[in-house]
Amino acid sequence: MVLAKATKIHKSYPLGKTRVSVLRGVNLEVRKGEMLAVTGSSGCGKSTLLHILGALDAPDQGTVSFAGEDLFAQKTWKRDAIRNRDVGFVFQFYHLLPEFNVLENVLMPRMVGTPVLSWISSRKTAKARAAEILELVGLKDRFNHRPKELSGGERQRVAIARAIVNEPRFLLADEPTGNLDAKMGKGIMDCLRGLNQNGQTIVLVTHDPLIAQQADRQVRLVDGRIEA
Amino acid sequence: MYKLFLTFRYLISKWVAVFSILSVWLCVAMVLIVFSVMDGFLDNIKQHSRGLLGDIIIDNSTLQGFPYYDDFSIYLKEKMPAEIDVVTPVIYSYGIMREPLTSFTKPVRIVGIDFDSYCGVNSFRESLYYDRYYPDTTSLGFAQLPVAGVDEQDKPILPPKLEKAHQSYLNDRDEDKFDETDFYGKTFSSPHGFGEYVQRFGQPSFEGNPLPGIIIGTDVFFHRDKEGFYDRQVLNRGAEIVLTILPLTSRGTIAENPIPVAMRAVDDSRTKVYEIDKICVYVDFKLFQEYLSMGPLERVDGTYTQPRASQLLVSLKEGNDYNAVAPRVEALWKEFLVTLYGSVTPKDADLLTRVGVDTWETRQQAFIQAVEKEKVLVTILFAIISIVAIVLIGVVFYMIVLQKTRDIGIIKSLGATSLGVAMIFIMYGAIIGVIGGILGILTGTTVVANINEIQAWLASRNPNLQVWSPEVYTFDRIPSVVKPTVIFAVFGMAVLTSTLGALVPAMKAAWVWPVKTLRYE
Repeated sequence: MVLAKATKIHKSYPLGKTRVSVLRGVNLEVRKGEMLAVTGSSGCGKSTLLHILGALDAPDQGTVSFAGEDLFAQKTWKRDAIRNRDVGFVFQFYHLLPEFNVLENVLMPRMVGTPVLSWISSRKTAKARAAEILELVGLKDRFNHRPKELSGGERQRVAIARAIVNEPRFLLADEPTGNLDAKMGKGIMDCLRGLNQNGQTIVLVTHDPLIAQQADRQVRLVDGRIEA
Repeated sequence: MYKLFLTFRYLISKWVAVFSILSVWLCVAMVLIVFSVMDGFLDNIKQHSRGLLGDIIIDNSTLQGFPYYDDFSIYLKEKMPAEIDVVTPVIYSYGIMREPLTSFTKPVRIVGIDFDSYCGVNSFRESLYYDRYYPDTTSLGFAQLPVAGVDEQDKPILPPKLEKAHQSYLNDRDEDKFDETDFYGKTFSSPHGFGEYVQRFGQPSFEGNPLPGIIIGTDVFFHRDKEGFYDRQVLNRGAEIVLTILPLTSRGTIAENPIPVAMRAVDDSRTKVYEIDKICVYVDFKLFQEYLSMGPLERVDGTYTQPRASQLLVSLKEGNDYNAVAPRVEALWKEFLVTLYGSVTPKDADLLTRVGVDTWETRQQAFIQAVEKEKVLVTILFAIISIVAIVLIGVVFYMIVLQKTRDIGIIKSLGATSLGVAMIFIMYGAIIGVIGGILGILTGTTVVANINEIQAWLASRNPNLQVWSPEVYTFDRIPSVVKPTVIFAVFGMAVLTSTLGALVPAMKAAWVWPVKTLRYE
């Protein structure tokens, strides 16, 4: 079953007075429950494709359907809601909020999706769920630590916990091990693999063939197109 | 939920926000203090102006005055019994007063009043010094010089009438209440420490020729020092004063030679309006009317001229609005003029046609409006200061937004809407306004409540820091009134200003393109 489908995606960025075409008619299907690795050389448009699949960026041309619905035909607020509820992002540089502790960072997507009054009643459940996930990623004793007090691997685990706290249908990981040493990278991949084995659909962007090999399926992006 | 959460977290974690709070705090406190002092000043001016005039004023703005004032007083009371309380005639003229000790002369504005009804129309009685400490001993009738003597225990004592009056003051006084008249006298020669009396060994008595009483504006004779006290030693109660009066005919010419009149200074009046207190003296209406040849005079044909007064002051019964009653009084005046048709001499008709009716407020409008315009000017100045505060908050928030661009991108990647992100900063600004506003109001009201004490403390450290000098200003103490409407308005402005200051940075935050901020570390 196809969870997300990108059809004829084009995307270009301004660079000085010219525009650089990054994606040139990308077609891609992501099946439910699979772990898909998107590989390619640096600057080939992997991250851009990931951002478009997660509704963080919009294509110049083409469509993205998510669970059968055209993502970019929706109103902006609806797309934001889908991103909050159904998409989880894991970034290469973790992108945790420095003023908040680990638990608060993980709770953030829940807070984004919950109005104030509902939060009062659901706060305890949300905290319990966040704690459960942090235990799952091996950060049981780090709830009250700030991101700067954690190692790179621990930070990425927090980022994964944050990405899955809302139990999204779609987990998008952009070079999740790119900023980590081999040992930490392996730990993160084990973590993602474990999630995938529990049914989590994951799209993984990486330029590392060893990481890509761990995915169920690989696609390669060359010159803005998926290599046949 | 995240909006509130992020707002409060940024508030406590970003020290730069303290500068925004500080600017709002100081602005609010400053605006509140200045407005309270200006409002207090304006209220005091209004209160004293009304207290000196009564509710409605009828006059023709000439020194000759106008005739038939007595008939109109009766007519007015008959026609408007539910509205009119007291009507009293007043005569204004100018004269020369000779100081008793130095023989120096001073120009004065003489106000002829019927003491009892004048005190019924306005709060003139409250402005009197001796009448406060020796109640009901002041009148403009003929008076002798009160002389203090000694009793059997060799203690100074005043004549029984004054002793008894002072005792009633002591019985009725409210010791806890600040009494501005305490400033009236610094040195005392009376047995009770209030006022100046001639003293001799022997029995207390009233001595000398009975002479008409005169009440003198406090600033006519007494010099005021920097602390606000008057040196009263220059004039004792009952001192003889010579007032030279210049009578005027109804045509406005000097009727006869100037008349020097010996009088006794029975009291002094401090209305707290310096312009009045430095020049006005008060004498009995009938006597003054007679001296000015404004009373009934026999014509060659045996008939009498109509007595004239400069002004009729009217006080209204409680519950009446002077603005509503004044036009009705004016209509009645016109009606009254019709009743006089055919019986008025051409000269009197000239004087009568010039008569107009005003409220105390319109009469004092020039002065009140000047202060009110100053208030508008200050409001404009504070509006400019508010713009500065908006810019400051805007700059601080812009810095925060620049610092937090990546965080904004992260929050957006988690599903936050652009409006939601903007709301974080708008709420941030509003909360800074609320905190700064509350602190400013607390500071402002505390300073206003203790403004005189603060000034006294400052002056005790350095006399040059005494900004409010009673020697210069009309009022002894810095007048201030904190109006709830001003508090609400200033607080509302603080919140609005801070929110506006945060608006542009909030819009910038809303426009952050998350992809751009998340691409790099």
